[in-house]
Amino acid sequence: MAQQPNTSNHAPSGSSESATKHVLSFLLMIALTVVAFALVMYDIVPTNMILPLILVLATIQVFLQLFTFMHLNQKGTAFYTIFMVTGILIAVVSAVGIILM
Amino acid sequence: MGTLIVLIVFALFITAILTGGYNKEAIEKFKKSKAWDWLTTVDHKKIGIMYFISGFFFFLIGGIEAIFMRMQLIVPHNDLFVGDTFNQLLTMHGTTMIFLAAMPLLFGLMNAVIPLQIGARDVAFPFLNALGFWLFTAGGLLLNLSWIFGGAPDAGWTSYTTLALNDYSPGPGIDYYVLGLQISGIGTLIGGLNFIVTVINMRAPGMTFLRMPMFTWTSFIASALILFAFPALTVGLLLLMFDRLFGANFFDHAMGGSSVIWEHLFWIFGHPEVYIVILPAFGIMSEVISTFSKKRLFGYTSMVFATVVIGFLGFMVWVHHMFTVGLGPWSNSVFAVATMTIAVPTGIKVFNWLFTMWGGQIRFKTAMLFAVGFIPTFVMGGMTGVMLALPPADFQYQDSYFVVAHFHYVLVGGTVMGIFAGAYYWWPKMFGKMLNETLGKIHFWTFLIGFHLTFFPQHFLGLFGMPRRVFTYQANVGLEQLNMLSTIGTIGMVIGTLAFVFNIVITFKKGAKAPADPWDGRTLEWSISSPAPEYNFAQLPLVRGYDAWFMEKQAGNKEMPAAEPLGSIHMPSPSFIPLLMSIGFFVSGFGFVARGDYSMGILGLIIVFIAMFMRSFDQDHGYHIEPHEIEEANKGVKA
Repeated sequence: MAQQPNTSNHAPSGSSESATKHVLSFLLMIALTVVAFALVMYDIVPTNMILPLILVLATIQVFLQLFTFMHLNQKGTAFYTIFMVTGILIAVVSAVGIILM
Repeated sequence: MGTLIVLIVFALFITAILTGGYNKEAIEKFKKSKAWDWLTTVDHKKIGIMYFISGFFFFLIGGIEAIFMRMQLIVPHNDLFVGDTFNQLLTMHGTTMIFLAAMPLLFGLMNAVIPLQIGARDVAFPFLNALGFWLFTAGGLLLNLSWIFGGAPDAGWTSYTTLALNDYSPGPGIDYYVLGLQISGIGTLIGGLNFIVTVINMRAPGMTFLRMPMFTWTSFIASALILFAFPALTVGLLLLMFDRLFGANFFDHAMGGSSVIWEHLFWIFGHPEVYIVILPAFGIMSEVISTFSKKRLFGYTSMVFATVVIGFLGFMVWVHHMFTVGLGPWSNSVFAVATMTIAVPTGIKVFNWLFTMWGGQIRFKTAMLFAVGFIPTFVMGGMTGVMLALPPADFQYQDSYFVVAHFHYVLVGGTVMGIFAGAYYWWPKMFGKMLNETLGKIHFWTFLIGFHLTFFPQHFLGLFGMPRRVFTYQANVGLEQLNMLSTIGTIGMVIGTLAFVFNIVITFKKGAKAPADPWDGRTLEWSISSPAPEYNFAQLPLVRGYDAWFMEKQAGNKEMPAAEPLGSIHMPSPSFIPLLMSIGFFVSGFGFVARGDYSMGILGLIIVFIAMFMRSFDQDHGYHIEPHEIEEANKGVKA
């Protein structure tokens, strides 16, 4: 395994690592956040739709974050994925346990 | 705040008078002293030793608290420690033993051994390692200072709300619990994270996952449990802190809160916590049994699998601590089945240990005695565990001494015996001296007999209806003899522990110097000198199979094949920032315990942020040990 720290995560992965892409996804995230704020501040959609819509926006943003800024689309991320999936699973079980039980 | 500044200025004056003002030579001298070396060290071996020492210190304190409780319960209607004092004793005994004794003792062994076992020069983040240790120490001291300043916490180690809220627990006791555990919890979280990264990234060439020693595996899984379980405790403690200090109402049902949420949060953390303290002990047992039976660990892959499954299921069973809360038959059934499932991987482990011993050349050294004594003791605890997992039966057992007997059988019979086995096994590697075997055997037999005499009668006390956490009991209802026996049993454990202390003292005074490989070991840590040199491995070893060192010995090799040429070794520099940051947290914790005036609490946090700032702009790239220095040192050893 990698003993030297500098060989770990900086493998170039071609065209996907461009500054344009980072700026674009950054702008997209700001846009998503603005939309979420707007939904709450102005009566654009019915009140009972606000929460589900915000959750959808949040999910999109989480995936954007994971792939563009946390580089989950690159190779060698098996451990991050294992730990994240386990963490999410445990969190979901705990939350469901608390709410339903 | 004013008083504080006056005190600080006064202290500075006194120091100036005593040292004769700013004295460059005195400061230089202090910086070269051993004390400064240990206070600023980032070496995993030294940090391991410090973890071990402070853990053992808290183990003795927790033990004294236990003795006091058994003294109170020796006869009915005793009035030695009653009411609040008894509640404080039982709370601090539980909290100290779990958080401040079991975990740091295991962390000590993990620190001392894991980097050596995987063939690494240090842990992944040496600075964080030191920070984790000092934070744990700061939290532990804060918690124990409650005895002197304002009264210890007295709501049980679980600190259930509503009892732990201001209305029913006025005074600073629970505040010490909340802040002390919060600070030491940050330290534990940092430590766990560090070990995960170390095991994933720092393994020597050829050390694949399925060649890792069992202790490294179980500690790795326990660290993952720390990572996932401790946030629940952090959140719970934070909410409780807000309820108590800042008038929030998370747990006050009259204000729309829910006191059951605390129980959920506590046990979502608390159940994995008991696996965090037992899994590394399982690993120690696997190493010890395999080494002293001179056999490969039976069913290594199934052991790894069982460890992972136990770790995973540990998160799915927390409601079995809450069967009688009234969550309904459906939820109780689900969690009962999940709980009983854990008996399967644990059974796999027990049988694997037995099969490892079967047909082996068994040598009954002290470490092996502890391992062999552990198996039946732990199985008894496991059996009562399955009994408690049945909700209808649990309604009868709950809050009785039966539960007390159960968890002492798994925690003392499992974790404490594991720690003792590990201490005797790795002492030569940690300190370079051999512990005395005769005293070790006295330690084992007195401790084992004393333990069973103390806790076996408690099963029956529970079945006869004696409730736990109550400071006295009626005469003439059949509880006298068993309580008397139970208290007499503690004498055995005291003698055993004293034998261990005595053993340590005479070993330091005139113990035999340890050879590199005293037990005919199987794993990498025995391929280097005892104690290990500062840089661990002059050349990183090349691992060619499971039980790497034993394989090389079988092939007739005197040392591990090297995976790299001899070169200069990069080492991290010592740093006093971890200590400074922990002092900041300590001051801050104390400040928040002193209600009303938060200036000291804020002052502490400012120290923390200054320390963080210093660390962020620290331009320190460590230093190098050159090959000729290593060769000179080696010559010294061989001659």
